[in-house]
Amino acid sequence: MLWAGGAIGAGALLTACGGGDEKPTASATGGSAKPVKGGTLRVGALGRAGAITRDPHGSQANESDYLILSLIYDTLTVPGTKPNTEPRLAASWKPSADLKTWRFTIAKGAKFHDGAPVTAEDVVFSLKRLRATPSGASRLPGIQEKNISAEGTDTVVIVSDYANAELPLLVRLTTFVIPKGTSDKDIAKAPGTGPFKLDWFRGGNARLVRNEDWYGGDVHLDAIEVKIFESPQAMASALLAGQIDLASNVGAVAARTAESRKDIQTVRRPNDMAMPIVMRTADGPFADPKVREALRLAVDREAMVKQVLSGYGTVANDVLGTGDPAYDKSLPQRTRDLAKAKELLKEAKFDTSKTYELYTTEDISGLAESATLFATQVREAGVKVKVVKQESATFWDKTWLKGDLYTTYWGTNDSVVFFASKTMVSESGTNEAGWKNEDFDAAYEEAIGTAAPVERTALLKVLQKIEYDSSGYLLWGMADGIDLAGPKVHGLPELPGYGRVQLERAWLAR
Amino acid sequence: MSPDTAAPAGPPPTTEGARPTRAPVLLPLARVGAVVLKRAVLLAMLLALVFLTVELLPGDAATATSERGESGADLQQRRELLGLDRPVLERFWDWMSGLPTGDLGTSARGEKVTDLLSTAFPNTLLLGGLALLLTAALSLALGCWAALRPGGRVDRAVSATATAVLALPEFVVAVALVLVLSLWTGWLPAVTLADADGTPGDWTMLILPALALTVPQVGWNVRIVRAALADEARAPHVETAVLDGLPPHRVLTHHVLPGALPTITAGLATSTGMLLGGAVVVETIFNYPGIGSVLASAVTDRDSPVIAGVTALAGAVITGVLLLADLVRDLTAGVRR
Repeated sequence: MLWAGGAIGAGALLTACGGGDEKPTASATGGSAKPVKGGTLRVGALGRAGAITRDPHGSQANESDYLILSLIYDTLTVPGTKPNTEPRLAASWKPSADLKTWRFTIAKGAKFHDGAPVTAEDVVFSLKRLRATPSGASRLPGIQEKNISAEGTDTVVIVSDYANAELPLLVRLTTFVIPKGTSDKDIAKAPGTGPFKLDWFRGGNARLVRNEDWYGGDVHLDAIEVKIFESPQAMASALLAGQIDLASNVGAVAARTAESRKDIQTVRRPNDMAMPIVMRTADGPFADPKVREALRLAVDREAMVKQVLSGYGTVANDVLGTGDPAYDKSLPQRTRDLAKAKELLKEAKFDTSKTYELYTTEDISGLAESATLFATQVREAGVKVKVVKQESATFWDKTWLKGDLYTTYWGTNDSVVFFASKTMVSESGTNEAGWKNEDFDAAYEEAIGTAAPVERTALLKVLQKIEYDSSGYLLWGMADGIDLAGPKVHGLPELPGYGRVQLERAWLAR
Repeated sequence: MSPDTAAPAGPPPTTEGARPTRAPVLLPLARVGAVVLKRAVLLAMLLALVFLTVELLPGDAATATSERGESGADLQQRRELLGLDRPVLERFWDWMSGLPTGDLGTSARGEKVTDLLSTAFPNTLLLGGLALLLTAALSLALGCWAALRPGGRVDRAVSATATAVLALPEFVVAVALVLVLSLWTGWLPAVTLADADGTPGDWTMLILPALALTVPQVGWNVRIVRAALADEARAPHVETAVLDGLPPHRVLTHHVLPGALPTITAGLATSTGMLLGGAVVVETIFNYPGIGSVLASAVTDRDSPVIAGVTALAGAVITGVLLLADLVRDLTAGVRR
């Protein structure tokens, strides 16, 4: 049980070191070899033929579309390791003293693929277009369309409704920049500013060629070919047969299939996907914090990681945002304690004669399995849980945000504040567990309103402690993002979530 | 929702219908017209059923294509945009009235359905056509081979294998083919990758998916061919030919096969539906750029226009093939008189 506490760190270490020379992972991510220019990288990415979109601000249900768009277009910022937000089209940014007004300066020499320089007006147009989409409010939370404006040619001013120290993180999501005035009709033809230019696109497949004068530095590959795949199995087959060089975000099942092949590199990106179990706090059988704590103690986290994720993941500690540099590793790791769990259930007068339904979907692999294993585990603490698999649309319509007990998943972020703002502060529109906690709200407001990093980290610790003690989440583990690559591929991204699409530093050995 | 279950039922592949007992073709055009009309009405009913079935599924196109964090008002707005607030029959009528002009409507994500299917459907037809040809060639060859020595070793082996293969689902065949012919031996590509023109990048990529579709269908058709040949072998004119001392292969090709042809054609025609249905599964395994993936995601999205579009095209193809089989039957029947 002791190693569990350090498991998250160990997972990160594993990818960082990648073993010795005999281990293929070393070449995938290590920077020891000198990049070679040239070659075409053939990338497989998941997507459904009917869900294809060419709109950089549309809803990108397809991984393949998202990959293509983020190679052609640039966001203002991109994910990093420490800090977790790095410059891209915005070379630098500066907040006002009250952290409400943010000024982003556009990178010098940034040009669209047609040669036109990028101006603040282009960025403002793109952000406003993004904000006007149906999910614009949740993509740019706290930022109203009228509060995005240009100052001179290279400065974009964004005024938030409230103090927000993490605004640069928010603008790294899908803030793809297109030329001002692009009409919806011409959206597929809009030139980008990114490391690659579109050569052709057809039915979800695309060929992209290097942008010779990208402002962001050297791009090694001549071209990237993106191939759309409907199933991870087919994608893994294609990689094993040498038809593609990289199977992006292919998952644990494929990784296990490829384990016996020494020439295939497995790239693990830790903290990629959270699959927490949500316990409704507002009302219902799990409203008593003691019951929630009992379930958190009844789960066998190591077994979950081992069986549900095939070991491709790490044990978690009920706090969301494990990839955040400010993530509190000093909180004691919860481990299984059935005696304590039973005691808490008794104190809470929890009705153990009843059977409780746990709703889940098969949206992502491992999710339904996690529910089944959880049900088996908590039975040992005397809680009878029946797993109900729902069809995706039904789940999002009927269960999400409303159910007493259900599984959810988040695969887009690594920040404590991101999860707090989206899922835990009282007024959040997607408060999955119906959780209202005044102390938490206060801690959140204070944290996002504090600019000084040291003080902010301290405040975030307070926030995480409250979440750890009483939120509606049971986060048993974090799944690794898994890419498979052929022997020649180097310089692949190792960041979780949106980090996976940053392929501009990849190169192919001769 | 696979096209085979949706296909209008063709003539049953029994030997009854194949007997040249009916009257000669008097008014072929009128008859063809009547059959076309009947099938068109069936197709229209089927499409209405598709619309109604999608309606019964939980959720609708607006929720299925929404993003997390979209508000109820946004959803309502999109529902109105997609016309989902109108009664299902009204929407169905709108969609149907566009059909004569070749307009298959617009998908829930705003794409023209004809655009979505313009490369996918020909790709599926190519794959299905190839599989149908292979099925015809293989099942005729195997069936005749077995029929040459009735009750012999070859005959028993072919019958037993056909029964076993018939029970194999396409995905089992597909997975086995990928393992053996691609991943272990490296002879053929494991999946199909599309080129800039949307078609398979290389003809070798067609072999495995076509085989995966063919194998179970061969199992089915060999049995039909064999049974039809056995039936026909009992006919008086065949017995005469045998008594005349003609060599067995000549009896087979000149006296047995022509009589058995209508049954064999009907069997192959019903296979078309199953081939198109199997294509949905096989295309997923081989990542083949056909209607399978379009249909699968359309069902997920509750996208009635797309589902109906696929059904209409697949239904039209199946109807066409069944008509052809009918014509073959009538023609051979006419000739035999």
